[in-house]
Amino acid sequence: MSAAAAPVPQPPPAYEDQERVRRELEQTWAQPPGLWHWLRSVDHKSIAKRYIVTAFIFFVLAGLEAATMRAQLARPENTVLGPDAYNQFFTMHGLTMMFLFAVPIMEAMGLYFVPLMIGARNVAFPRLNAYGYWVYLCGGIFLYLMFFMNTGPDVGWFGYVPLSGPEFSPGKRADVYAQAITFTEIASLVGSVELIVTIFKNRAPGMTLNRMPLFVWAMLVQAFMILFAMPWVATATQFLAMDRLMATHFFNPAEGGDALLWQHLFWFFGHPEVYIIFIPALGFVSSIIGTFTRRPVFGYPVMVLSMIATGFLGFGLWVHHMFATGLPQLGESFFTGASMMIAIPSGIQIFCWIATIWSGRPRFTVPFLFVLGFVVLFIIGGFTGVMIASVPFDQQVHDSYFIVAHFHYVLIGGAVFPLFGAFYYWFPKVTGRMLSERLGRWNFWLFFIGMNVTFFPMHQLGFEGMPRRVYTYLPETGWGDLNLLATIGAVTIATSMLIFVINVVRSYRVGLPAGDDPWGGETLEWATTSPPPHYNFEYPPVVESRSPLWDTTGEMPVVTGLRTDVRDTLVTTLLDAEPDSKHRHPNPSIWPLLSAIATTILFVTLIFTPWGAVIGTPLFLLALLGWGWPRGRDKREQQLVESEA
Amino acid sequence: MRGTRAVADVRHLPRTVFGNRSLMWWGTMGYIMIEGTTLFICAVTYFYLSRNFATWPPQHIYRPGLVIPTIQVGVMLLSIIPMRWVDRATRRMDLATVRTGLLICSALILAMCVLRFYEFRALQVRWDTSAYGSAAWAVVFSHTTLLVLEAAETLTITALIFGDQVEERDLSGVSDNALYWYFLTGVWVPLYIAVFLSPYFM
Repeated sequence: MSAAAAPVPQPPPAYEDQERVRRELEQTWAQPPGLWHWLRSVDHKSIAKRYIVTAFIFFVLAGLEAATMRAQLARPENTVLGPDAYNQFFTMHGLTMMFLFAVPIMEAMGLYFVPLMIGARNVAFPRLNAYGYWVYLCGGIFLYLMFFMNTGPDVGWFGYVPLSGPEFSPGKRADVYAQAITFTEIASLVGSVELIVTIFKNRAPGMTLNRMPLFVWAMLVQAFMILFAMPWVATATQFLAMDRLMATHFFNPAEGGDALLWQHLFWFFGHPEVYIIFIPALGFVSSIIGTFTRRPVFGYPVMVLSMIATGFLGFGLWVHHMFATGLPQLGESFFTGASMMIAIPSGIQIFCWIATIWSGRPRFTVPFLFVLGFVVLFIIGGFTGVMIASVPFDQQVHDSYFIVAHFHYVLIGGAVFPLFGAFYYWFPKVTGRMLSERLGRWNFWLFFIGMNVTFFPMHQLGFEGMPRRVYTYLPETGWGDLNLLATIGAVTIATSMLIFVINVVRSYRVGLPAGDDPWGGETLEWATTSPPPHYNFEYPPVVESRSPLWDTTGEMPVVTGLRTDVRDTLVTTLLDAEPDSKHRHPNPSIWPLLSAIATTILFVTLIFTPWGAVIGTPLFLLALLGWGWPRGRDKREQQLVESEA
Repeated sequence: MRGTRAVADVRHLPRTVFGNRSLMWWGTMGYIMIEGTTLFICAVTYFYLSRNFATWPPQHIYRPGLVIPTIQVGVMLLSIIPMRWVDRATRRMDLATVRTGLLICSALILAMCVLRFYEFRALQVRWDTSAYGSAAWAVVFSHTTLLVLEAAETLTITALIFGDQVEERDLSGVSDNALYWYFLTGVWVPLYIAVFLSPYFM
């Protein structure tokens, strides 16, 4: 450690002093009850919980859309949904799952647990964090309001031009698509900057980069991927909106524009998007496997390098979504090779986990079951991924139900199963109560069986030639039986989700008390109470190994010297996490919400008129001014800390 | 919760730090990476679309004017000098120099905004004329949004710094704003070459 923070042996604080410290911290970091304070909150745990609950509601909505589509397809020539409604349903399902559920909930898990795992009191920019959530919420509400008014997007989550262009999509549905994406991109980008800076600068003293938990590494890689991937789709959708509103010609071939440009821009984001969703799941899996085998995950350096490699390679695959567009053969061959190559780091991680389980003492709790389910399902999805990386095979099954089967195995198996494992694993930390194991097992097995019954037959449907995105089919095709089977599987999944919701509601009220560390975890989040206090830790912990809770017996080493009467946090150095400076965190504020409302006014009015910029931009700038202008409590606290000198 | 034992004391650590020791510096870097990627995408689009035309600019469209855009590049590059002056003064806590420097920079960024208005005219094409016009406008417009935001931020900071309750950390904020200034002005050089000069060579 640096000279400035050289260890100063001190006697342990007297009991009454500890009580005083705790009382002062409670008072300083408190979020008082009431709507006004709730709207002003900047506590990372409070914001992350809102993200998680909101994203789960969107997950349920997207699931209901999927169930309605499955009802429509259960038999030939069904009439549950007409073609127009069906187009909106599959678009909303994809958009919701990708932009309103998967990415936000993965980031939210990071925003909740990363500060706890690295021993920090909050994220680096708490107000920005709140702003990100409010923008996301406004975007989601806007999208669903438009959907309920029959103006939901109907051009697929990929929004290909020319279909989504002004000529073939009159009305506002495609504009809603473009702008809804902009909302969610802003929220994702804000979250990614939060995570990167928090991980780089707020780690507990002693938590060098090579002592960071694998989950934190996963969130760091994901955040960097968001940083470089999301601007592509945000820019592409702005180009699309301008083509529609202001008669620009980015995608209009008649005036020198290019329809394939859209596909390049979209998939340069779209493929990394898969890994943006999947890499945090790798972090969940590592956390769960480590805890429930009671040993550190095998091959830590290889695991980290594999995640980083996945992050880089994820940007080199986008063209495999475009094999059917007639690209040069050399390019196709390159992207086939790159697509197959990404199986290598994924395979390495699978082998490391198997080695961990092999050499550990596995406990088959519900979180661990979900991880085992992940291994099975993700391997199936990975295999079909390697198959469609091959151009000749891809040409045969392109746009068929084989692809639907493949990516649902990858996304549900690769991301949603670990996510549910993470829910069961961390629910006790968030709420202080255990989820029921018995209901959890029902939840797992029904989900696992339902998932396979729904999506495995789709491989065969693809081979039989059933195309994606058709609202019905004729009896003569012979696709009816497998479609009915898939619908039965969907009902099974819905049942498993209902059991999960019952489990959460029931356990939240009457679940067994969890205690601080019910599973015997190795990382710092288990060192604080369940649920954690607003300030997370009374004193910043000091980390001496990769498994601080397993390797440090007895009292936790901590750092003293932060103020308790202002929101003081510790800033450490990037590589070695040496204490470097103190930082006063901002207090709760209403301005992030007001700024999000100004952003919403800007984006929504821009759908109808370019003058929206003239109305919305000054409002947004005013909100930023209010946000940054020093006042009241902030000023008083600043005077307090300056009196230190 | 476990008992604790103190192994280090941090009460003597500084509160105001500069450069990559500051949280806001890293936040600004994140913003720079996002905006840098966005500008890169606009430039990629510009060159990607140029492949669809036999000549660039397309026939019957004038090449962009060079006088105003070249003055703009010059002003932007020169503005780095006073901003660097301000940046260094913040680290010495030299408030008088910071105030003077920020006044100069405020005047310069307002001049850049005015010049930008004439730069759009210098493109000599409308956004809806053809894909060429759309792409050229996209590059310049994207940079303009950043320019306007930076102008708003610089003017606000200048107003704050002339207040009577300037705090140490405000000066660290000025230094982080300088980092963004370097990005904003520096990144315009390749974009200027792409939009205004490259049509003379393609």
